[in-house]
Amino acid sequence: MALNLTRRKFLQTASLAAATAAMSGCFADRANASTPFVKKPFTAPGSFADTKTAVGGVCEMCFWRCQLVGKIRDGKLVKLEGNPKSIDNGASICARGNAGVKLLYDPDRLKFPMKNVGKRGAPQWKRITWDEALDECAAKLKGVVDKYGPHGIAMFPHGSSATYPMGFFEKVVGTPNISEASFFQCRGIRDMAYVATLDTPPDENVDMANAKAILLLGGHFGENVHVSHVKRYLKGLENGAKLIVVDPRFSASAAKADIWVKIKPGTDTAFLLAVMNHLIKTGKYNKAYVEANGVGFDKFSAGIAHATLEWAAKTCDVPAKQIKEVAELLAANAPNVSIHPGRHVSWYGNDFQRERSLACLTGLLGAIGVKGGFVKGKGPKVGKAGGWPKINEEHAEAHALHKMAKKHPFSPPGTPTDLIREAAITGKPYAIKGFVAWGQNPIQTIPDQEMTNKMLQQMDFIMVCDIMPTDITMYADILLPESSYLERYDMIKPGTQWDLSGKQEQYISARMPLVSVTAADHERKDPVWITNEIAKRMGLEKHIPVQSMEEKTDKALAGANLSIEQLVKEGGIHVQPGADPYGSVLKVNFFSQEVADAGFPGVPTYIPVPETPKGYARLVYGRAPVHTFNRSQNNAWLVNEMPENPVWLNDESAKKMGLKDGDRIELVNQDGVKSRTTTVVKVTPGIRKDTVYMAHGYGTMNPAMTVGVGKGIDDQSLITKRAVDPETGAHGMRNNFVKFIKNGKVLNIPA
Amino acid sequence: MTQSTSISMAEIYRFLAQSMRYPSSEWMQDDYFSVLDTFLAELGWNAEAQSLRQSISRDADWLEPLQVEHTRLFVNAIPSVIAPPYGSVYLSADGMLYGPSAEKAKAFYREQGFDLAGEADIPDHITFELEFLALLAEEGKEKEEELFLQKHFRPWFPKFQARVLQEGRHPFYGVLVNLIDFFTREEM
Amino acid sequence: MIIDLEKCVGCHACAIACRAEWEVPTGKDSAERERRRNWVKRLGPSKTPQGLASTYYPGLCNHCDKPACVTVCPADKVEATFTDPKSGATKKMEVAATWKDPFNGTVQIDKERCLGCGACADACPYSARYVNEEEGDPKADKCTFCVERVAAGLEPACVQTCLARARIFGDLSDPNSEVSQYVKKGAVKLESAKVKIGPNVRYYGNKKDMHLLTTTSTPQAMPQANLRRTIMAQMLKPAMDQAKNLGMLGLAGAVIVKGLSEDEKE
Repeated sequence: MALNLTRRKFLQTASLAAATAAMSGCFADRANASTPFVKKPFTAPGSFADTKTAVGGVCEMCFWRCQLVGKIRDGKLVKLEGNPKSIDNGASICARGNAGVKLLYDPDRLKFPMKNVGKRGAPQWKRITWDEALDECAAKLKGVVDKYGPHGIAMFPHGSSATYPMGFFEKVVGTPNISEASFFQCRGIRDMAYVATLDTPPDENVDMANAKAILLLGGHFGENVHVSHVKRYLKGLENGAKLIVVDPRFSASAAKADIWVKIKPGTDTAFLLAVMNHLIKTGKYNKAYVEANGVGFDKFSAGIAHATLEWAAKTCDVPAKQIKEVAELLAANAPNVSIHPGRHVSWYGNDFQRERSLACLTGLLGAIGVKGGFVKGKGPKVGKAGGWPKINEEHAEAHALHKMAKKHPFSPPGTPTDLIREAAITGKPYAIKGFVAWGQNPIQTIPDQEMTNKMLQQMDFIMVCDIMPTDITMYADILLPESSYLERYDMIKPGTQWDLSGKQEQYISARMPLVSVTAADHERKDPVWITNEIAKRMGLEKHIPVQSMEEKTDKALAGANLSIEQLVKEGGIHVQPGADPYGSVLKVNFFSQEVADAGFPGVPTYIPVPETPKGYARLVYGRAPVHTFNRSQNNAWLVNEMPENPVWLNDESAKKMGLKDGDRIELVNQDGVKSRTTTVVKVTPGIRKDTVYMAHGYGTMNPAMTVGVGKGIDDQSLITKRAVDPETGAHGMRNNFVKFIKNGKVLNIPA
Repeated sequence: MTQSTSISMAEIYRFLAQSMRYPSSEWMQDDYFSVLDTFLAELGWNAEAQSLRQSISRDADWLEPLQVEHTRLFVNAIPSVIAPPYGSVYLSADGMLYGPSAEKAKAFYREQGFDLAGEADIPDHITFELEFLALLAEEGKEKEEELFLQKHFRPWFPKFQARVLQEGRHPFYGVLVNLIDFFTREEM
Repeated sequence: MIIDLEKCVGCHACAIACRAEWEVPTGKDSAERERRRNWVKRLGPSKTPQGLASTYYPGLCNHCDKPACVTVCPADKVEATFTDPKSGATKKMEVAATWKDPFNGTVQIDKERCLGCGACADACPYSARYVNEEEGDPKADKCTFCVERVAAGLEPACVQTCLARARIFGDLSDPNSEVSQYVKKGAVKLESAKVKIGPNVRYYGNKKDMHLLTTTSTPQAMPQANLRRTIMAQMLKPAMDQAKNLGMLGLAGAVIVKGLSEDEKE
């Protein structure tokens, strides 16, 4: 090697002349690609005070959708803040919202379409062009439809970016096999149970800010953060509301509670029945409301008469006195009480009945349409755009697995996850050979990962569209990179002021890009563009409802006499006078004929859950304030705040087991499945002996997530025993039991 | 330095930038490889030239392994993106894109009267920095070229190079980063 | 600054807003100090005399009345003029690279003159300082009470983002301010018998939470002054000044700090 040759001397060597001459001509694409630079005069970079403020952001670090502004310095997003014009979150955003910057600039983000030329689950990715990717997706999906019918495709969507493609697959392609994580692994049970009881899904519409008492069943606000929701809760507490928290763990909310009911997990329905029975027996319920609006009350009161304080005390392992105290406290403050419907409620496979009980308790206290009660804000009217025509919806309906099997009549929209997995694996009643994941990570979302793996391995084609290389992306044949919520137009977010008793106002905001997506070093696309391109290539072009995300947004805004331009002028949020939300009355189906006719208990009923086997504790999970499920696992700032998810263990149990706070352990479940990773023990008196707890959203197994990989334990990997809520077909995920392993030694958990 | 040397240097930077782009049959043709070959021959890197020739001409399917390797090294991969081709990944504590060093590189572009064409371009991508060096060389701004190399390019490049050399599975990118190293190293 | 633990829900938004505002790197510095200006630590659930408790320790620089970090700074003193924003009065003081402002009471750092030796960070009993070594140019860093934002009419970043309004920022010397009201209600400083340097962040909460906070999070001893680090920084200062004159401060600073921290490990 010419060791002493420097680059400039090298240039003087003669034979190079020919080479450099050839160089300028040897790139066929140079003419069009040319240089990435353009001439521009220099301007000094500004400090924080010189940043440009971009308006119109709507957060998607979780799905509460706080309104944002972006602080941009010379093209770089430096900081996200709450939009000061917001009457919802105001200038506040949570930890995750603040950390959105790090999602935008994560080097592990998906950058280009890729094809897997290796194996499913152990991919070798090859970057391909959008044309190649879309051609292949369309050809393969069409191939599945032609061979197996539209129902041969399953789609697992999550988040607002998946709404548009979901409409395409459901209405135009015509598959019923759509499993939304937000329904089947989260809140679908709640919505369906409230619809059966109060004829409306509840969302989280309890007026906590103006309540005199608040009842939370497992709610752990502070650990679980949705900004305006927590603001309502805190305002209520500040105004002196009594807080009752029912939880096997001394959660963030239990720490602020007046009464902590340290309940045996799975028995919440028994607790609620006893509270209601006590109220009826002592005449302390809202007779006027029940008489005027109750349906089947006599059957109901007779049906729960067995639920005495003593029975519940024994069942729930809490003092009868405390159950009575809760009932009396609620009665004393009725009707201004917030009976919180919960959000993630897919717990034990008996959850529909628990959610029905909560709705009944709300009605029993007359806590509907009054201050502090179940009240929905009156939001503004906005238009709708981007809806696909219902070309093949009948086909979808006719092939819905739960309808064919006459199961789960109270299924939320879509098809229960397990029916899809079972059909895919067995081929009965029909084959499912095409798989689309859009923003969802079914590997960490759905219990029994082995079953998910089996479903995926038998697919003819798997397409995944996401922002980050989550676990599911390892199974993709074609992987498509999507623009993030900071880079695209998207949905409309309407609402009211956060405190329902405040000045009555309504707002309309829309997700608009804070930063550009145009770049030479990555090519990400939005869901409307991607879906339309696939639709075109599948020969379904004529059904395309809108050409772009921007058009979709503008059309929806037009329904409120607004436009993107106008909204930007108004600082990203349009605020207008609102309407008094109080005074509404809802009919309450205490006994539900509809539920009874479907073969389920028409009176809310406690269905016991499997007991904890000796030597084990029940694995219960919840939220960490710095993570949204598994979506934020690779965020450098968030991971830095809470790098692991310690597993909570009762202090007396720990002593007997010889475990100390901070000891590194693994977990093994009742089926002998071991955690892939380790975590530390948190020894505390703040949890029952029969329960261990950890935050969800840790321990990704995809090593492409370089920040998050192997940090903490993935609770879902230990949830191998599935429970399915019979009414809805949604999952129950808290019927799994674990032991600890330290230094290779399995430790029994004393009872 | 003569004007023609500057122009040659600009062509070399462009050649290196092009080489870091995604492998495609559109530009990776005989012309390209003969230029590369000439470089290696002139430098006396015969073993490298040999291994490259072998891996490229071993079979008709030489392109896909290169594309897979490029994706794995620079785009997304299992077990992780090996060597993200962005300066601030190596210069900032949290290894994220668009760290302070990237902003400084962009400011340097501006001072010299240039800006990136794509609004969302991450300024310190290796092809951008090499293209920028080409522009400086072309304009005969030798001092600025050296300054950019010293302050912006060399602080991270050796770390990037080391990752490619250690984790690379295809001889092409190993040879290429050594070539970039040679042409950007400080003059003795 | 007052932190109301009755309101705080432990969401960590303050810590991350601060990181974004001041581009604070994650992880630890070369002397194993957490790189942060602002933090939230979860406490409990633990038993207290008043019952089971769980709360948070949201921490930041206390801008102490007698700051231990200021006196140890080995940088050459220069004369600086301070102005009272209210009265317009001025005061001249000899200050090293870190000082306490005689009017607004905040403790600040001059990044230009900071040697990056870390002596101040070692001296703080609250571990509120770290050394930011980005790009080989080490500088001490800590909470400034966002004086730059406040001057622009904004709230400190952590205060603005706090959904609970649990952080109350104001003037303790004004008896009518909200912060002074909290002091009257019994907001406390995290002080112990051996650590009494007049911290200006106070915490308010119920008895059991305050018991948990004060028993777990009050420093019990002043850090051992790291004499060697300070002396070496002082000895090396002429060389560093020279390096600065040559425009090589970044390089020299990095070498020196590296040498020092290797020394520590022996």
